[in-house]
Amino acid sequence: MTDDDTLSAFSRRTFVKTGTLAAAGLVLPRALTAMSRGTSAEAIRVGLIGCGGRGTGAARDCLKAGGEDVVLVSMGDLFPDRLERARTNLAKVASEDAMVAKQFKVTPEMSFSGFDAYQKVLATDIDLVILATPPGFRPGHLAAAIAAGKHVFMEKPIAVDAAGVRSVIASAAAAKAKSLAIVAGTQRRHDPAYVAVMRRIHDGAIGELTGGQVYWNQGGLWNAARQAEWSDSEWQIRNWLYFTWLSGDHIVEQHIHNIDVANWAMGAHPVRAVGVGGRQWRTEGAYGHIFDHFAIDFEYPNGAHVMSMCRQIDGTANHVAERIVGTRGTTDPSSEITGQKAFKFVVQGQKKNPYVEEHVDLLASIRTGKPLNEGQQVAESTLSAIMGREAAYTGQAIVWDELLNATQDLTPPNKGFGTLTVPPVPMPGKTKVARTFND
Amino acid sequence: MVKVPGTTILIGRTEVTWDLYDAFALSRPDTVERRAGVDAVARPTRPYGAPDYGWGHAGFPVISVAYSAAESFCAWLSARTGKRYRLPTESEWERVASLAGAGKAAGELAWHAGNAGGRTHAVGGKSPDALGLHDLFGNAAEWVTAGSGRPAVRGGSFRDTARAVGPSAKAVQDDSWNERDPQIPQSRWWMSDAPFVGFRIVREP
Repeated sequence: MTDDDTLSAFSRRTFVKTGTLAAAGLVLPRALTAMSRGTSAEAIRVGLIGCGGRGTGAARDCLKAGGEDVVLVSMGDLFPDRLERARTNLAKVASEDAMVAKQFKVTPEMSFSGFDAYQKVLATDIDLVILATPPGFRPGHLAAAIAAGKHVFMEKPIAVDAAGVRSVIASAAAAKAKSLAIVAGTQRRHDPAYVAVMRRIHDGAIGELTGGQVYWNQGGLWNAARQAEWSDSEWQIRNWLYFTWLSGDHIVEQHIHNIDVANWAMGAHPVRAVGVGGRQWRTEGAYGHIFDHFAIDFEYPNGAHVMSMCRQIDGTANHVAERIVGTRGTTDPSSEITGQKAFKFVVQGQKKNPYVEEHVDLLASIRTGKPLNEGQQVAESTLSAIMGREAAYTGQAIVWDELLNATQDLTPPNKGFGTLTVPPVPMPGKTKVARTFND
Repeated sequence: MVKVPGTTILIGRTEVTWDLYDAFALSRPDTVERRAGVDAVARPTRPYGAPDYGWGHAGFPVISVAYSAAESFCAWLSARTGKRYRLPTESEWERVASLAGAGKAAGELAWHAGNAGGRTHAVGGKSPDALGLHDLFGNAAEWVTAGSGRPAVRGGSFRDTARAVGPSAKAVQDDSWNERDPQIPQSRWWMSDAPFVGFRIVREP
């Protein structure tokens, strides 16, 4: 009986994915199986959905994390030009890096564009899919990926509205039932410095947590000038940052990183939020209908309040940071604790890149049959950020349970390319949590 | 600006600050640039984050900038002013540095790991050197064009020890300077992990 015969009762996909064999103690060490069966037969096969700069970068990070045991085999994007650009850029990386040259196996036949590109990628022979389209598409793509039995790496945020968050929570539960991994692009969770500080916070290094501040204040971001041949929807999707149905607004798209750190420290999601925000500087139509600043007060179950502030306005003070306060100390969770149990993280050996580490952790969890599942956690952080957004948009105090169950679905009424209005700029006192695309 | 000894070239008294760099980075090419014959000098992409690390902006040295971004700034400044600005050559920088450091201790002249608190400081906060320049050593390390045409940074930065900053300090870019740029292609304007790199400019006669 050959090694292949030994494993023939289990498809390679099952072997890689389920962990059932690992639980039974039947999984051979990776190196051994690779030696006996050949690396290519054992490699984790990866597909990429969403070929922008971050998606392409995430694919590169995954390959970097995986070594020769990981290959990228299929790619998909809504836009043919973005797909081609990503293929070209990865081919360039491969031409400069012998390892990537072995790992980059995407042929033209395995490259897909259009609204159904994600389905075509999921139909290819892959174990793991990277979801990196604009966030509005994420809940649907995640559900499809889990239904197709794929492990998932997905960029943050993972939804833009309450309906999307509920969908992701359901997908995360389905993934758990199927022993599929979900790791999210909240990379601070995989940063050794944050991990070291958080462990100490949770061990009581700063006593009882009483509050904190989180910030993402910076200038404006890129904007793609509208081309004559673009339909309304193509223009919106290519400028997805500026439309709530696609990005969630910048508090969700960007500031989620810092809000996630607050949740991580508190060991909980906020229960209530009040806040302010507006669209004061970035008012032209080219910037859709989102706000350019928010300030939110988040209340946690233990009564602690975390002040959150984010801004995208040129010529203003930059600050991207978190600060968590306890009864016996204060932390900058990115690196240090001050107080009775002072601590400063010092890099030991080679400095680790969290964008790669998140894939290292994901791949290790798949290989050992103990799939990480961050789906619920990142869904909660996303809803926390949405909670802040809704507090500012509506001008009301937002309560977690009500938001989670709200009839809020920002999906556009019509699918595909074509006419699409720009939703109104939210107005505190008038905008309601329970709303659809046009409200 | 101060004359580079033995030449007619002028060198900036300080590192280029964000105030001036923003005038380039946040503006759009206009008719002045087109008239100057510079065909719409490209502008830096918008960074996803805070390349100044929140340490300070107005009056603080530009940091996290790629060599090509510093060169583009010089092209823009030249177009706007009709003068010829560029980065110093390495030999020009060395000539200045060899004369500038005379007679003063590193702590008097330079922000270094022992006194900077892990960040840059507003330019001109330390004593001027023998040529009247500020922060040539320490604070932000400075892009120069080496003889081979390849870029390097000189002078050391706030991250280097007092002993390591000075006329002989030199570093050459490697992958670690851009390691956490999560995009492909990586930015040709910003360096995700090099908050210690800035530049000063020279003006040709």
